[in-house]
Amino acid sequence: MDLIWVVFAAAAAIAVTALATAWAQGRIGPAVAASLAEKPELATTAIIMVAIPETMVILGFVVAVMILLRTAG
Amino acid sequence: MIIEMARVRIAGPRPRLDAALRLLQDVGDLHLMAPTPADGAAQAVAAPAAAPARPLRHVTRLLDDVETVLGALPVAAPLVPLVAPPTAWPAAARRVRRLRREVAALEHERTALVEEHTLLLQYRAFFEAFGPLLQRTPRWPDTRTSFVLLRAGAGASVGELEKKLRSVAAAQVELHARPLPSGEIAVLMQASGSAAAQVEDLLAAARLDELPAPRGLGEIPLVQAMPALRERVTQIEARLAANATRRARLAAEARPELTALQMQLHDLLLLAEAQVQIRTGELLFVIEGWMPDPALVPLRQRMARELGPDIVVAKVGTEPWSRADAPVALANPRLFRPFELITRAFPLPRYGSIDPTPFVAVFFPTFFGLMLGDVGYGLMLAVLAAVLRWRSHPGSKLRAVSEMALGCALFAVVFGVLFGEFFGTLGASFGMRPLAFDRENSLVPFLVFTVALGAVHVVLGLVLAVVGAWRQGQRRQAVGRGLTIAMIALSALALLAAFRVLPERFFTPAAIAVLVAFPVLVALEGIIAVVELMSAFGHILSYARIMALGTASLMLAIIANRMVGALGSAVVGVAFALLFHLVNFAIGLFSPTIHALRLHYVEFFGEFYSPGGATYRPLSHWRPASPRAIG
Repeated sequence: MDLIWVVFAAAAAIAVTALATAWAQGRIGPAVAASLAEKPELATTAIIMVAIPETMVILGFVVAVMILLRTAG
Repeated sequence: MIIEMARVRIAGPRPRLDAALRLLQDVGDLHLMAPTPADGAAQAVAAPAAAPARPLRHVTRLLDDVETVLGALPVAAPLVPLVAPPTAWPAAARRVRRLRREVAALEHERTALVEEHTLLLQYRAFFEAFGPLLQRTPRWPDTRTSFVLLRAGAGASVGELEKKLRSVAAAQVELHARPLPSGEIAVLMQASGSAAAQVEDLLAAARLDELPAPRGLGEIPLVQAMPALRERVTQIEARLAANATRRARLAAEARPELTALQMQLHDLLLLAEAQVQIRTGELLFVIEGWMPDPALVPLRQRMARELGPDIVVAKVGTEPWSRADAPVALANPRLFRPFELITRAFPLPRYGSIDPTPFVAVFFPTFFGLMLGDVGYGLMLAVLAAVLRWRSHPGSKLRAVSEMALGCALFAVVFGVLFGEFFGTLGASFGMRPLAFDRENSLVPFLVFTVALGAVHVVLGLVLAVVGAWRQGQRRQAVGRGLTIAMIALSALALLAAFRVLPERFFTPAAIAVLVAFPVLVALEGIIAVVELMSAFGHILSYARIMALGTASLMLAIIANRMVGALGSAVVGVAFALLFHLVNFAIGLFSPTIHALRLHYVEFFGEFYSPGGATYRPLSHWRPASPRAIG
């Protein structure tokens, strides 16, 4: 396979998931900040809410690594 | 673990109620609850007796006076020993009210002096800026001088003012403006006697955003103003020092007595609150509540010893279903106790369910250590945690955080040794080699390891769910969860056989077992079981983040090390490398913490945790919090 497509695929795996995470966190962040202003005791829930979309980019990173390693192997 | 609670009923003659309550407050073990209405012993006595309202109002008002005075007085360090509380309430109340007035007067004086002092210091800068100008011979024999000190950001109005002054009396007025170090703008205007009135009018009409002039400064010639101002500053500083001395003396004299009084008043209010939950009649009183089971016999013995045989302390037999209202108190070994902070960030577990703290204490630092996994960063964290521990009070949240951080640092160092990492690959230059994984090159084995660890963690959560459901008599649910565990184990077996980690002959029996177990699971728990099974697999995959974050941290450390040779100058390279390592260390603290928390709260707790436990709040003596530096 052409190397450039492999690199492009790995980059896309990271980029698309990072954008998706950013979009989700961009929407969750303000809502969580507003909730915390009124109820500081929700801090734990807030952390979880903000951390949940990060799964996407983390799995994107894993997929990118797998693509690159498979090509290298 | 959750402490075993016993439901306790204490009954006795009505005149002994106060003594019984005070003893219970001294013991500090009984969490009061209203007696069960359907109970015969509770019905034998009248409705709960509320504390009389009028004396309570006096107590509340006196407590407000005491706390206002304590809040305004500087804190003496270390904590002063408490003296015996006063016995004559009216005299104590009069003294506290007098103290409150005195402290308020001192505070009022201090505020006024500080404000004047700040203003004078600003004007001192003003006179220092114009000193030489004021000393020289006036341009006109009848020169009149005006001045204003404009607030920061009012520079534009100086230009406008100068333009207007020149238009009305160009040859007979001079304007000098100097920016001061504090940001304000000092403006000095000198005008001949004939133009002075026009200048005054213009100043009044200009509506400048000026600072008010210090009191008395307008009445003396400006040449004499500087010495007068210096003298006033000295006077104010002396008065401020006297004020601070007086407040410190008052604090030293009154704080021990006031603190004792504060504690006694809070205790009275706690007793008054407690009375609402006690049933009393003409002859009897009945107190009910929950207390740790091992503390029951000592309480019974102490009651008998101090109050005589008239008071009966009995354990009320309860059905398991009626224990839902038992309060929850966590008790864990010393090593695990700091991790209760993570459990307590969630609503407490229900009484009778499982306290996850011991598991959190093992897995949280493990996950953190796996993600950070570097001897250098681990040692930095250990130093930070040790400083935090040294600076924190015993029993405080900060102390718990510091102890958790020490545990995490230890695991980061241990995994750092296993991964052969010291500030990334720097360790290799002095012979450090990976003992378990080379995280830079063995990405797939590390990924498999983290997902396997995830499987262990999630299965542990499911095992706890089985135990919890079995304990609560929900046998069907327990079997369903057990079957989910079996399906995860069989799926793992099939996968390992498919990838030839295990002999291939395992694949077919494992796959058939999964296919057989699946309809049984659906039959036991309904269609929701399918969703839960899928979510359990999703949870296991989520542990891949340990590998992802660990690798990202290592890559950043490697980039930091490469900066040394990549930027031409070695000094600049080392400076950038240090800066980058510092940034990576900061990320390495934040990210693994958040993700280890998430793995616990979402993936692990999600399998078994049942929140909703009431906090155990026994009737006890009130204690002041750690002193705060005031004044």
